[in-house]
Amino acid sequence: MRLLHILRSRLRSIVFRDRRESDLSEELQLHLERETDRLEAGGLPREEARLQARRLFGGVEQLKEACRDARGTATWDALVRDARQALRRLVRDWRFTTAAVSILGIAIGANTAIFSLVNAVLFRDQAFAEPDRLVNIYQNDRAGRPMIVTSYSAYKDMAEYTDVFAGTMAASLPNPSRYLHDGAIRNAAVEFATATYLDVLGLRPSLGRWFDETEERPGAPLAGVLGYQTWTRVFRADRSIVGRIVPVDGVPVTIVGVGPANHRGTVDIGVGTDLWLPITAVPAISQHPATREAPTIFVPLFVKARLREGVTVAQARAAMDVLARRLEAEDPDVSRRAGELALGPGITVTAAADVRIHPQADLLFMALASLVLVIVGLVLVIACSNLATLLLVRGAARAKEMSVRLAMGATRRQLVRHLLTESLLLSLAGGIAGCTLAWWGLQVLQWIDLPFTVDLTLDYRVLAFASALSCATGMAFGLAPALKATKIDLLQTLRDEGLQPIDYRRLTLKNALIVVQVAVSVLLLGGTTMSLQMLKATRAHRVGYAVDGVAVLETDLRFAGYSETVARTVRDNLLRRVQAIPGVESAALLRGLPMEVTGVPIVVDRATGEQGSDVDAAMIEAGPGVFDTLRMPLLYGRAFDAHDRADTPRVAVITDRMARQYFGAVNAVGRRFRLQNELNSWTEVIGVVRDPGTGDFNNDVLDPIAPAFYRSHTQSAALPTTIIARTSGDAATALVAAMQRELRAVDITLPVVTASTMAQKLEKSQAPPKAVATLLGVLGAFGLVLASIGLYAVVALAVARRSREIGIRMALGARSQQVVWSIARGVAGLVGVGTGIGLFLSILAMLAVRASSGSGDIGIGNISVYRPNIDPVALLAIAAVTAVVGVAAAFVPARRAVRMHPLEALRHD
Amino acid sequence: MSDNTDVLQGTLDLLIMRTIALGPLHGWAIAQRIQQISDDLLRVQQGSLYPALHRLEHQGWITAEWGASENNRRARFYALTKAGRTQLEAEVAKWERLSAGVNLVLRRT
Repeated sequence: MRLLHILRSRLRSIVFRDRRESDLSEELQLHLERETDRLEAGGLPREEARLQARRLFGGVEQLKEACRDARGTATWDALVRDARQALRRLVRDWRFTTAAVSILGIAIGANTAIFSLVNAVLFRDQAFAEPDRLVNIYQNDRAGRPMIVTSYSAYKDMAEYTDVFAGTMAASLPNPSRYLHDGAIRNAAVEFATATYLDVLGLRPSLGRWFDETEERPGAPLAGVLGYQTWTRVFRADRSIVGRIVPVDGVPVTIVGVGPANHRGTVDIGVGTDLWLPITAVPAISQHPATREAPTIFVPLFVKARLREGVTVAQARAAMDVLARRLEAEDPDVSRRAGELALGPGITVTAAADVRIHPQADLLFMALASLVLVIVGLVLVIACSNLATLLLVRGAARAKEMSVRLAMGATRRQLVRHLLTESLLLSLAGGIAGCTLAWWGLQVLQWIDLPFTVDLTLDYRVLAFASALSCATGMAFGLAPALKATKIDLLQTLRDEGLQPIDYRRLTLKNALIVVQVAVSVLLLGGTTMSLQMLKATRAHRVGYAVDGVAVLETDLRFAGYSETVARTVRDNLLRRVQAIPGVESAALLRGLPMEVTGVPIVVDRATGEQGSDVDAAMIEAGPGVFDTLRMPLLYGRAFDAHDRADTPRVAVITDRMARQYFGAVNAVGRRFRLQNELNSWTEVIGVVRDPGTGDFNNDVLDPIAPAFYRSHTQSAALPTTIIARTSGDAATALVAAMQRELRAVDITLPVVTASTMAQKLEKSQAPPKAVATLLGVLGAFGLVLASIGLYAVVALAVARRSREIGIRMALGARSQQVVWSIARGVAGLVGVGTGIGLFLSILAMLAVRASSGSGDIGIGNISVYRPNIDPVALLAIAAVTAVVGVAAAFVPARRAVRMHPLEALRHD
Repeated sequence: MSDNTDVLQGTLDLLIMRTIALGPLHGWAIAQRIQQISDDLLRVQQGSLYPALHRLEHQGWITAEWGASENNRRARFYALTKAGRTQLEAEVAKWERLSAGVNLVLRRT
């Protein structure tokens, strides 16, 4: 109760400071008057009495101070006074303040935003019950390394080891599918999982239930579980969703529940799973080319198991070794099974806590994440060294002010307190700027069309860390002048006006900071060129197919519920109608667009007779006329035509890139390859076309141009879903609308999946790598701006401090050019050293990236990690930019000093 | 100044609280009252009086309110709070024990 009163009274004293002060004055005034009255009554004349009262009273101001002390508000008053003074000072030095606040803001903001992104994608913890008892199980590939996936049959064998496993589950990688909701087709990542999935992870559905074992039986009506995020975002958390039927790839699926709120999927790297389906639904659903034609369950799986109480990982490993030996004994001919997956002998068991997705994949993700973090860290280093430089320079300039204050009787404590307040205010403003920038940055990141949906939230730990680091820098270097000032000889500093010219050859803290800043900025820019190369690879690469005047219309016949024959008729009908649209020069059916297809595993029949290792190639199934519509010239052989039917041998037209890469010659006509899952059915190469030059940017950011082949859709069970049509010139937009009208005329219930021009498609497919490159570019630019601010500030101040010297030299007849050059030379030396170090480090970094990406094969197939080239032109450009900035920073203030009137310059301090 | 006894710091609080226990008074009147009642033996210095008043108010034992003084000017009148009354009783008891103890020592030696 009393404590509350004290707090309230103190708060009142602080808030109503002015009233408290006037109250105090009035109270003491009354006392004086009454005292005077008393003395006057005692016989003294009025004037005498007043003086007497005054004398008795003593010092009014001291008394007031004592009263303030008694209320405990004196410290606060001093603080307010300091803050006001600091604020005035910061406003007056607005250039310095702006620079410092933007440096702090960028450092804190950029770091927080980017780390939040990396954190959201890679490091978010999954909330499993008793995670210590969870293990991941992988079949090994032929090299004995754990593969990223396991076969269904192997999973069934693993699940039988109930003596070590309390439960076993399997789940596929998310597969792209579509579902119909509210009359619109939506893309979905579908995970095929076992009925045991949630129990093994130790999680509960947030609504309804998981599908059970009866629903997992082959042929059972499909039951599905929605992802929590999809449920809240798309279905607006509608609780009546349970029991409703949602068509998925045209197949009705009954929703039985909603997944846990804190679980976004088995592969939790930014990609959230929209829907879980029983593993037995694979033959019915799944667009994956490798799986959709397989009669049995053929889907790569992740296997996780929950250990029985008391069972160790080592025991589980021993049990799986037994299984591995048994499997090998049963089926020693591994190559026969190679048609299924690139299997080798052996099984790997790891504690689930030790791996994020997969041991090798983790390494790759870590490498990517650390690259981003290193770049962000460099920005932070630049920012901090920059701030330090600014504050040091400013401190040196204030040495005289400090001396004056000391001479006038300020104590050391007061000086320190004052400067500390100033630094604190500066840090506060920087912190606010940082938070704003971080928040804004996240908005922008969310707005950029990233290849995956990320649940982005500001990471407060990083915000705190970056703020603390920046503010600590601010404090440490902000205090330096106070500490230095209190040691210096007063008279000395007052007399000589800080006239020591900066010696550029000496290794001083300031010189070192400039060199570090320049070096780190150059390194950062060097990193940016790597990403610019990526951007160039995506943007400036020859697009080897027609874009202008081409319209794309994609539908999904499965949602209309046709029989296969009807579907074929409808499809042909639609094609005819599109071809009949006035202005259409050519139209073709296809499944997959050059910029959108991902690779499927294929086996190449090598010239030597041996079957090649597993490689990936993008597959597009198309009808006759596709090369004409896309204007892709045939280099060798022929294109497929109406004579290539389901009952004739399978044929393909491949790109020259695929021909060179997999067959070793551009003319590969007559050679053959097969899809990995088409066990004994070879596909013959009948033609070679010019490479379209773009691959799937969404999935192969690292290597966007994949080898590709085209097969006739008549030789495939899956129906083509897309019609492309070419018209002349810029009529593509109108053509898109016309094609949509034709689609509605054929069947009003057919959903439109995509209706856009080819140009829009291309633009969209290039967005993610552009976003990445832009991000890195912006960081590099930030670094350059930061370094420039720092460089400019240091040099400008150094020059300003030499104004008197310059004045004397000018008065003695030095030519302005000479003076300017003598200053610029010194700066150029520092910038040169910094640039040299930075370039050296950049080349080292690029070599390191090249070396590490050599082992790009991580068992997922062929992910060839991007290899940066050391681009001498780019490096030279960076050096030039840095030099220009550095010299400009020296030049501008030097010229100003030279133009100053000698007298003015002499008086200048 | 005079040969009057200066009031000890700790006892000043006690005297102030005892004085205004009878009714609200303003600063000058408190000093006067203490002087009168002690037959001019105790004289309160302004330098200690006002800080003491502010401290007591800050601690919540007395409250201040504006009122009209004898000469019809605005004056801050101090009054005991409930907590202050309890505190006063405790302080008085403590003082009585102390002075009794001091008296005993002075008499018996």
